[in-house]
Amino acid sequence: MNYFNALLSVPTTDPDDARRRRLLNIILLAVLLAAIVALIAIMIDNIFDPQVISSETEVLLGGIIIFTLGILGVYLLNRRTPGRWAALIFLILLTVIFMFTDSPKQLVAGRSLFLFTIPIVMGSMLLFPAASFYFATLGSLIVIVMSLSINVFPNVPAIIGFYLVALASWLSARSLEQTLAELRNINANLDQVVHERTQALAESLERERIEAGRNQAILNSIADGVIVFDRQWNATLANPAVRGMLEIPIELIIDKNFRELIEHPKLQSKSRNLLYAMMEQDTQPIGFRIEWGGKTLSVSAAQVYHRTENMGTVTVFRDFTREAEVEKLKSTFVAIVSHELRTPLNAILGYAEMFKEQINGPMNEKQINMANRIMSNTQRLLGMINDLLNQAQMEAGKLTIKMAPFKPSDLLENLHAVMDKSASDKGLVLTSEIYSNLPFVLSGDLERLNQILVNLVNNAIKFTDQGAIHVKLFSPDENKWGIEVSDTGVGIPEAELPYVFDTFRQVEGTATRVHGGFGLGLSIVKQLVTLMNGEIKVISNMQEGTTFIVTLPLAVPESFPKIGD
Amino acid sequence: MSIPALIIEDDEDLANIFAEALRGVGFTVEHVTDGKVAQERLKNGEPPYLILLDMHIPHISGGDLLTNIIKKEERLAKTIVIITTADARMGETYVEMADFVLIKPISFVQLRDLTNRLKPRESSS
Repeated sequence: MNYFNALLSVPTTDPDDARRRRLLNIILLAVLLAAIVALIAIMIDNIFDPQVISSETEVLLGGIIIFTLGILGVYLLNRRTPGRWAALIFLILLTVIFMFTDSPKQLVAGRSLFLFTIPIVMGSMLLFPAASFYFATLGSLIVIVMSLSINVFPNVPAIIGFYLVALASWLSARSLEQTLAELRNINANLDQVVHERTQALAESLERERIEAGRNQAILNSIADGVIVFDRQWNATLANPAVRGMLEIPIELIIDKNFRELIEHPKLQSKSRNLLYAMMEQDTQPIGFRIEWGGKTLSVSAAQVYHRTENMGTVTVFRDFTREAEVEKLKSTFVAIVSHELRTPLNAILGYAEMFKEQINGPMNEKQINMANRIMSNTQRLLGMINDLLNQAQMEAGKLTIKMAPFKPSDLLENLHAVMDKSASDKGLVLTSEIYSNLPFVLSGDLERLNQILVNLVNNAIKFTDQGAIHVKLFSPDENKWGIEVSDTGVGIPEAELPYVFDTFRQVEGTATRVHGGFGLGLSIVKQLVTLMNGEIKVISNMQEGTTFIVTLPLAVPESFPKIGD
Repeated sequence: MSIPALIIEDDEDLANIFAEALRGVGFTVEHVTDGKVAQERLKNGEPPYLILLDMHIPHISGGDLLTNIIKKEERLAKTIVIITTADARMGETYVEMADFVLIKPISFVQLRDLTNRLKPRESSS
């Protein structure tokens, strides 16, 4: 087949030229084959019937040999020369040979006239579409000349037939060429598109490679330790900072399950629980701290999603040792300072009280009023110091919850003892109630609960100019109990609601000056409630009032009945 | 009849205020500012009717005085002990050993009214 292809192939880059010359080669080979077959047939005929070779046969034999040689020549020309020369010579040769295939009389009469249609059809294919008309004309001229030479009127239907065949050939060849041209155009466009796509793909791959390299470089150079875990918590990636931070070989991290790292002896047992909790939770807490071999590390974790599929978790470790030390120092400092501040304040308060009580002789109303003012301002200052101290204790982690049996009624008793005066001084009413579904005795840290309630009521008084503060102790369901403090105050703008529990924050910048305090009260409440595994929420309507609702886990001491009163 | 009270408090002003409150309801007040001195006084002197003991005093802490002296000396068994502290948690620790725990800031009126109630019955007028 390859050999056959090699026989047919022509050295050219023009697809049209190649097509035409290849077609010519096929025809030439076919004709050559036919000529050889004819030659063999004549020779076999001669062997079986060894008569004297007739002159007719001699002419035929000579014609075939000359024709064969001519075809071979055309073939060689076609193989070497680009363009249509070979085809033109072949077709003329064919026409001339057809002229001599029959006697002029017979030819003109129509026996061999159809032969002239062959170069007409081939011409449109091998040369160009309109060439069929040239060969129709050539055929017609031959017919006319030959007719006249033997004094016969030319065969008009044959001539018309030639032109009709030429027309059909021209149309079909032309449409074939057009179709081929269109196909080539489409192919060229396709090639262009494929080329562009390939280019784009190569570029994007290159970009990705650069990006990946850059990301790797970033990961390698950041100071934070990064470990990436798959969904089964096997570490798939860890940056060099992790090794420095944990001071263990990277082989103990990579491809190992997180549990192995958690069980490492350098990790403090309390931190172990935090990390296990992180593994089990669906929503990761942001930034908790662990103790690892004398270092304090801050850990944050985030789940990685590709589209909607959970791919695992990225954990970031940050060396927090220095910050933790500073924080602890700060807390200790604040604790000492607050403590030392309280003693002189106690003295101021005591002396002012002595004035008010007129210990050293009678005082006039103005003087007593002044003593009162000294006392109330000192109380305010003490309140702030207490807040600071609490905040410092909470930050230092020193504040703990101690559970003991207490009566909810004690909570309200203390509240009224401490806050009634503040409320009435501002012309407000402080009311309270205990719902009957609340057990008579509960388990909890009474001191901290008092603090929560006093802070909430203090806050309510601060932001209420007229009306009432109402406190409600209730039980929303059998597992919870709650404290609700509602006021008829100014309310909190909706935009500020998310921040009311932030440390050192008050609604509007000027509020501090008007209402006093650091804005620590609610922050402390929130932290205490969290320490007690409870929740706090706030509902507020501008100019109508605010309600804080604390819900806490309900625990009844074993030796007390569940329902009292 | 005068009722002897001992104030152990290192802050002069607070001691002054406490003394004023106690005197106001009829106590005779004795004041020491140092743990060591207080220890000597408790061991050797006349047992007071009431002790106002600050937890944060120099040399020997209020807690130690309470645990090692006041609760051990038979002579002091009847003495009423009021401890004063700024640290609520510390107050809790010693609540079993003391008769009363007052958390600073301590109000003049509060202390006066409390000690007035604690006076021996026969001496109240």
